[in-house]
Amino acid sequence: MSKVLIIGSGISGLTCAISCASRGAHVILVSPFPSERAQSVLAAGGINAVLNTGDGDSIEQHIRDTLKGGCDIAGEKAVRGLCTAAPDIVRWLESLGTVFSRDKDGEIGRRAFGGQSYPRTHYAGTATGKQIVTALVMEARRYEGLGLIERRFWTDFYGGLIKDGTCYGAMLYSEATRTIEAVTADAVVIATGGQNALFGKTTGSTQCDGYTAGKLFTQGVDLKNLEFIQYHPTAIETDQKKMLISEAARGEGGRLYYEEDGKRVYFMEDLYGPGGNLMPRDVVSRCIHEAGRQVYLDVTFLGREKILDRIPEIYELCLKYRNLDITREPIPVVPSVHFFMGGIAVDLHHRTCIRNLYAIGECASMYHGANRLGGNSLLAAVYSGKVAAYDIKDTKTGQPDWSDLIKEENDKLIQKRNSSSRFPVMYVRGMLADTVNSTLGIVRDKATLENGITDIDYYLGIAGKINYDRSELEYYNYSLEGILTLAKAVLISAGSRCESRGAHLRRDFPERSDSLSKATIISYDNGKFTTRLSGEDEYEG
Amino acid sequence: MKVRILRQSGPYGKPYWQTFNYDGDSNASVAAILDNINYSDDIVDSEGNPTDRISWECSCLQGMCGACAMVINGVPRLACDTFAKDLKGDVITIEPLKKFPVISDLVVDRGIIQENLKKVDAHIGEYHQEEERDHELEYQIGRCLKCGLCLEACPNYVKGNNFFGPLFANDSYFVASRSRDNGDQIKKDYKKHFAKGCSKSLACTKVCPMNIPTLASMAKMNRGF
Ligand SMILES: Cc1cc2nc3c(=O)[nH]c(=O)nc-3n(C[C@H](O)[C@H](O)[C@H](O)COP(=O)(O)OP(=O)(O)OC[C@H]3O[C@@H](n4cnc5c(N)ncnc54)[C@H](O)[C@@H]3O)c2cc1C
Repeated sequence: MSKVLIIGSGISGLTCAISCASRGAHVILVSPFPSERAQSVLAAGGINAVLNTGDGDSIEQHIRDTLKGGCDIAGEKAVRGLCTAAPDIVRWLESLGTVFSRDKDGEIGRRAFGGQSYPRTHYAGTATGKQIVTALVMEARRYEGLGLIERRFWTDFYGGLIKDGTCYGAMLYSEATRTIEAVTADAVVIATGGQNALFGKTTGSTQCDGYTAGKLFTQGVDLKNLEFIQYHPTAIETDQKKMLISEAARGEGGRLYYEEDGKRVYFMEDLYGPGGNLMPRDVVSRCIHEAGRQVYLDVTFLGREKILDRIPEIYELCLKYRNLDITREPIPVVPSVHFFMGGIAVDLHHRTCIRNLYAIGECASMYHGANRLGGNSLLAAVYSGKVAAYDIKDTKTGQPDWSDLIKEENDKLIQKRNSSSRFPVMYVRGMLADTVNSTLGIVRDKATLENGITDIDYYLGIAGKINYDRSELEYYNYSLEGILTLAKAVLISAGSRCESRGAHLRRDFPERSDSLSKATIISYDNGKFTTRLSGEDEYEG
Repeated sequence: MKVRILRQSGPYGKPYWQTFNYDGDSNASVAAILDNINYSDDIVDSEGNPTDRISWECSCLQGMCGACAMVINGVPRLACDTFAKDLKGDVITIEPLKKFPVISDLVVDRGIIQENLKKVDAHIGEYHQEEERDHELEYQIGRCLKCGLCLEACPNYVKGNNFFGPLFANDSYFVASRSRDNGDQIKKDYKKHFAKGCSKSLACTKVCPMNIPTLASMAKMNRGF
């Protein structure tokens, strides 16, 4: 029986755990908090699959839409696998208890999402991700009962147990015992989600910080396509985050405008005609950016009744967090970082470049190319979990002795902790977010990216020297360097792609370049960051 | 405005009260107020004494994940979903949930929720494809955050006893209605770990941030539907 260590218990980690256990593996599923707190529960819109070909839709069309949405740099083989498996995945999720909505014919409810030729986004009310998590948690519990899944909470990833290109397990930090422990396994699967902490405020969860990807990068793991970061065009800003105003508001007829000389300019309609408000996310975000002033989303003309009936969650959100009655006032919106197409580089089986180390879900870069279609990421989270589980074999690799390493790392923690330093780690994170937001905005250029790298080098310089802020969780302290390293890798990747494609727009290179229809791979060796372009066959095909 | 917080430096620390000044936005949520106290500057209490940052748990910050459950002015609530303007008086009192062991300040260990559900092996198993059931109720139950607020409010729930509390009544119905092979077992577990212990105070329904109609689940389970 193989032993599999899975880090992260959102939709991808849960799926992988269930799939490994159903194949008889023993799984240790690690996350600081239960799955109900993972970002996956925020996904509202739905999950893509062609369940019904009656209206002319087909799996081939789903594949074409995904490749086109990704601006021709996603691997066709990978996308084909994803879209082909999608119908079975949705049925599987339902069979585990996901309460999907039903249409009038009793079929699973589906809606139209941007960039897709047919309505194929299947939903569970306004809580698709949450309903899927509820079902997966129950199914995982079945295997917990059988002793095949062991869940560990209050535990964070610290680093990989990696030697000579092979992964033997991971170092885990326990907030309860405040120590690092080596957990060995035949395979390690990383399922830690996106990189929100680089930006501070995003539409997502504070738990997605990118640390794991950053740390593994310094341990030899390639990262890929980091420059592709999806901005959702419409969010409202609050003290602590940017809250998503779903596409549904515009789907129902909501109109974007700004004010000029006391008049409203419906700029999306002026640019693209009556359907302008519903252009793909990257286009709308770019237009809002180019407007260069406060943009509003107006739904008032729909009338109170329709608003309360069709988009009640948006009404409530605005009232609660902005004291704004959207039946009477327009919504001031801002684009917000929403999804990371880039992440850990993996092949078709979700293997990283380190043997026995896998990455799945949003932390892995796969399927979405330069731009993700809404509804494809929940699908990818489930699919990747299954694919990785299928590939994991009982390796029975002999284990090196890790005791010296663990002692050394624990000593480092103690040394950094035993100080009365009040250097506030969260302020460094705040400074990082300022840098990243000002350099990795919707439109980038060489000079600002280079300045950003200089800033991050400075933060990295101090991060290595300062002692820990004892009044913070130790995790916040030790994760800082990994997060900063990842941020630097993202900026370098963005600087290396001298073209505009999908979510990566360069002021100094406004056109797409055919010769760059490849993925960016970045690797790390002893403080040195190296980027290169990689064809589809290296990782995705 | 003053914010009084019941603090505890670790699982074995002694609880103590500490008061902070807050003069930010009065429309802010309690979660935003905690962040403001923690990070506006070096943290000091209302007497100006430097102190440790306040630990509390968060993830989504918009009422969808249940991380920031705590007791605010005596009522179990989510901090990100509770706003200063809706609270009476000019002192906000914040305590950790009392029915769970404190890890640090406002962070508690709610692991018992998962442990209890694991004890009765609450899962669907073989799926029961039947359209006659109450889809809306199942959807509402599927939104349960497992935040523990219902357990905090429930007069019958005491850690370690046999009564698993309101969230279990909901999960019982969810399993019973969707499972072909696990329904009978969960009905027995419902009797043992819920029906016998519930005194129907309905305090749970008042604090549930998702407004899950627990009473409807109980009615279905009691009738054996
Ligand atoms: C507001 C919003 C709406 C969305 N709507 C949709 C939608 O409608 N359709 C769609 O397809 N996609 C949507 N998405 C995207 C989708 O939700 C995510 O891509 C997907 O849920 C990611 O799942 P995951 O399992 O990879 O990661 P997550 O759900 O983010 O889980 C990550 C896990 O890793 C753990 N973790 C993190 N760091 C560590 C560490 N250092 N050590 C240990 N554990 C760690 C976390 O605690 C968590 O358990 C949306 C995203 C947002 C923010």
